[in-house]
Amino acid sequence: MKITIERGLLLKVLTHIQGVVERRNTIPILSNVKFDAPDGQLSLNATDMDIDIVETIPADVASSGSATAPAHTLYDIVRKLPEGAQVELDCTGDDSQLTLSAGRSKFKLTCLPTEDFPVLSGGDLPNNFTLSAADLRGLIDRTRFAISTEETRYYLNGIYLHAAEKDGVEVLRAVATDGHRLASVEIPLPQGAAGMPGVIVPRKAISEIRKLIDETEDEIAVSLSDTKIKFAFEGTVLTSKLIDGTFPDYDRVIPEGNDKVLEVDTDLFAHAVDRVSAISTEKSRAVKLTIAKGNLTLSANSPENDTATEEVPVDYDEAEIEIGFNSRYLLDIAQQIEGDRARFTLADAASPTLVQDLDDQGAIYVLMPMRV
Amino acid sequence: MTIRLLPSTTVNRIAAGEVVERPASAIKELVENSIDAGAKRIDVIIRDGGRTFISVTDDGCGMSPEELTLAVERHATSKLPDDDLENIHTLGFRGEALPSIGSVSRMSITSRVHDADSAWLVAIEGGEKSEPSPAALSQGTTIEVRDLFYATPARLKFLKTPKTENSHALDAIKRLAMAHPDIAFTVGDGSRTMLKLPQAQGDMLSARLDRLDAIMGNEFAANALAIDAEREGLHLSGHIGLPTLSRGNAALQFLFVNGRPVKDKLLFGAARGAYRDFLAHDRHPLLALFLDIPTESLDVNVHPAKTEVRFQDAGLVRGLIVSALRHALAEAGHRASTTVSNQALGALRPETAVPQSYQGNYGSNQNRPVMPSAGLQETAREFHAPLSNLDTALSVNALAEDQIQEVSDDWPLGVARAQLHETYIVAQTDNGIVIVDQHAAHERLVYEEMKKALAEDGIKRQGLLIPEVIEMDEGAADRIVARSDELAELGLVIEAFGPGAIVVRETPAMLGEIDIHGLINDLADDLAENEEALSLKERLADVSATMACHGSVRAGRRLNGDEMNALLRQMEVTPHSGQCNHGRPTYVELKLADIEKLFGRR
Repeated sequence: MKITIERGLLLKVLTHIQGVVERRNTIPILSNVKFDAPDGQLSLNATDMDIDIVETIPADVASSGSATAPAHTLYDIVRKLPEGAQVELDCTGDDSQLTLSAGRSKFKLTCLPTEDFPVLSGGDLPNNFTLSAADLRGLIDRTRFAISTEETRYYLNGIYLHAAEKDGVEVLRAVATDGHRLASVEIPLPQGAAGMPGVIVPRKAISEIRKLIDETEDEIAVSLSDTKIKFAFEGTVLTSKLIDGTFPDYDRVIPEGNDKVLEVDTDLFAHAVDRVSAISTEKSRAVKLTIAKGNLTLSANSPENDTATEEVPVDYDEAEIEIGFNSRYLLDIAQQIEGDRARFTLADAASPTLVQDLDDQGAIYVLMPMRV
Repeated sequence: MTIRLLPSTTVNRIAAGEVVERPASAIKELVENSIDAGAKRIDVIIRDGGRTFISVTDDGCGMSPEELTLAVERHATSKLPDDDLENIHTLGFRGEALPSIGSVSRMSITSRVHDADSAWLVAIEGGEKSEPSPAALSQGTTIEVRDLFYATPARLKFLKTPKTENSHALDAIKRLAMAHPDIAFTVGDGSRTMLKLPQAQGDMLSARLDRLDAIMGNEFAANALAIDAEREGLHLSGHIGLPTLSRGNAALQFLFVNGRPVKDKLLFGAARGAYRDFLAHDRHPLLALFLDIPTESLDVNVHPAKTEVRFQDAGLVRGLIVSALRHALAEAGHRASTTVSNQALGALRPETAVPQSYQGNYGSNQNRPVMPSAGLQETAREFHAPLSNLDTALSVNALAEDQIQEVSDDWPLGVARAQLHETYIVAQTDNGIVIVDQHAAHERLVYEEMKKALAEDGIKRQGLLIPEVIEMDEGAADRIVARSDELAELGLVIEAFGPGAIVVRETPAMLGEIDIHGLINDLADDLAENEEALSLKERLADVSATMACHGSVRAGRRLNGDEMNALLRQMEVTPHSGQCNHGRPTYVELKLADIEKLFGRR
């Protein structure tokens, strides 16, 4: 194999790919990226056995072939090469070493046998549909903050993606929860997604695919079975195993009978929460909301009896209520709301509160209060 | 096969299997008899780990020839005068020991009643007893046991090496000796003395402390806190070690119930609970506790070996122990054990060419350092290490003239004179110097502060969106549900959910996202074993301790005189400031006399 490729292009692909490669591996080949160069293009492949990513780019192929080389080292080298450099990758003759040369720099990297590289793809993916990149970003961005990090409840360590029905309209819905709060975002069901199984996409796959689609405006082709999901666009294919578990029946925790409605300016609210919570030094960072007609008072105190209060004008017409929240959870949710106004629907100090973006009916957030 | 009654020798051998498990248990039975006989002096000889020869001699009340013949019969005893098993005041009462031992060995008993004119001897061999014959003995009773277990070869096969059996025997004698400081004990093998405990003088408490000191190592007395508590007819006394005097195992934790040494996990659990704030998980305090309890609320007839007892109200006993221990520890304030300064001095001796690191080594006994876990040591070192970018040669932060205060004897920790290596504060007291580890000390202060705040404000609870249902066996679930009020105060709100399941609705907010299943299962185990929600308290304390660690002055931070003095004054008024959260000392005090010794002035 002998190819020449522009440094910027190679760096972009390596940046994408190396996120999948773990820093430390018990299986050496998993530290490597696999190059495949048939005519006129180069595809790079990396995997951690759960996620597999393949990216194909045009390249000047002098002789076709394949090789593997350590992903992080390679990334580090290419990153440090001067901009605009032409990078030559060569392993003709001796396939135990890959020679990388650019200008006057030359690196020899040890290869591991290409045939050892695990093949993750394969298997039938019967459900296929396409999504716009913006829609996928929206689904991920507004739910990922609520993904659980607690590993004993592994079935919460991802985003639950499934087809559902709301008010007679079919939707594709993404849900994440860590048991304290829940985020649910939906978009109209794309063609072909009807009948798809409900799947839990693991956190790492979510964060990798999110990085990949950051700049693209393409349509993303999604294929899935009940064990795997594949995202494909612009020569990039990411395949991930799914979390094998049952997502809890989240519908039941979305409150329906809450009758106290409060509307508030999102920015004002978020900043006030942020300021007030500066006073609480403890781990739980509790903030108390005292809601009266037309006025919301946020307050917090520290173990040393320092206190903070801030008042925010709100639209509220019900009986006065006091409720406590973890300020970090409030901020997380406030950050998801892009519209000017947020609506809180409350019941009492012990029941879940519903938060919505007035401009975006597709997203709902549920937050459990903190008891002080 | 037809059913028949077993001959009495076989019956006795079967009984011996329970009572006489190994030479140590035979010795224990014999020494207990001597104690019950009112002896003031007991001499024990053990050869070959007790396998070939055991002899116990006392100066007790003795037995008449008629009693002697009866004594070796099963269920014959002088100790149950009213046949009242509810009210047992003696160590023995079952009347099984002598026939059991006699049935598996060659035993001879020589005894003389206090004012009788001659002594008598009875011999038993494998259960066959001889007629009493006259013998020579000045007073009391001597029992000799030869070839123990010769009649039960199976048991003989399972004995450990003579050395091991010997140490078991010594342990058994020591336990009894601790409870009876008014009796002199000697243990030997005929030529060499292994243990010699003179009759301790003085009132009960000081006599007992002398005895404990002789048995638990001579650091114990200097670092012991006296316990004296009473509740609902129960009286708990004894001594406990300061947290800085700790061991890697619980071998030096003793509980005596009405003078009887018992092994009860209740004690271990209670000790763990009381010392929870002061010791790392793998360190154990030294304890010797004596519980006097009305005989009717106690059942000692649980096992023939009588190492276990049952309390009518175990919760009350546990509560009494924990509160008495906590109270004593709180009163100890900032006291750290003298072993700390002794070890420091040891490390300073000129002949120790390289002063060995005594990090984490405090309180270990004699020459056997018991090191804490590697992880703990590492974190400890990390925090105690001076910052690498400091020029250590220049890091003495001596105080300017105007910052130096006068030494006053109102301040036990003295007045700060300098800071060394930006880590240690050196203070002068009116009769010595004190070296304070600034990080460890401040960490403890912050931790105590947090605990106070937590106790005042209560623990905040985060509601669970999806209540967690946990299935467990019914008994465990019931135990947890029964404590739901107490758990709610600790931030964990649970409810029963049918038989054998509970539902968790709220968890302590400071724990963040936690493994609820794991926590509840640990709690169920705790409640079964220790009757206290230890694992939840420990987790809360862990979070506080981590925050305290991050919120405190690190090693490597330069402090000025006012800051140092403020730290010392705070330590004096803060409870438990003598040790950090892992039981290491926060300061070392060297008396002037100690320093003079270092220079050969004394």
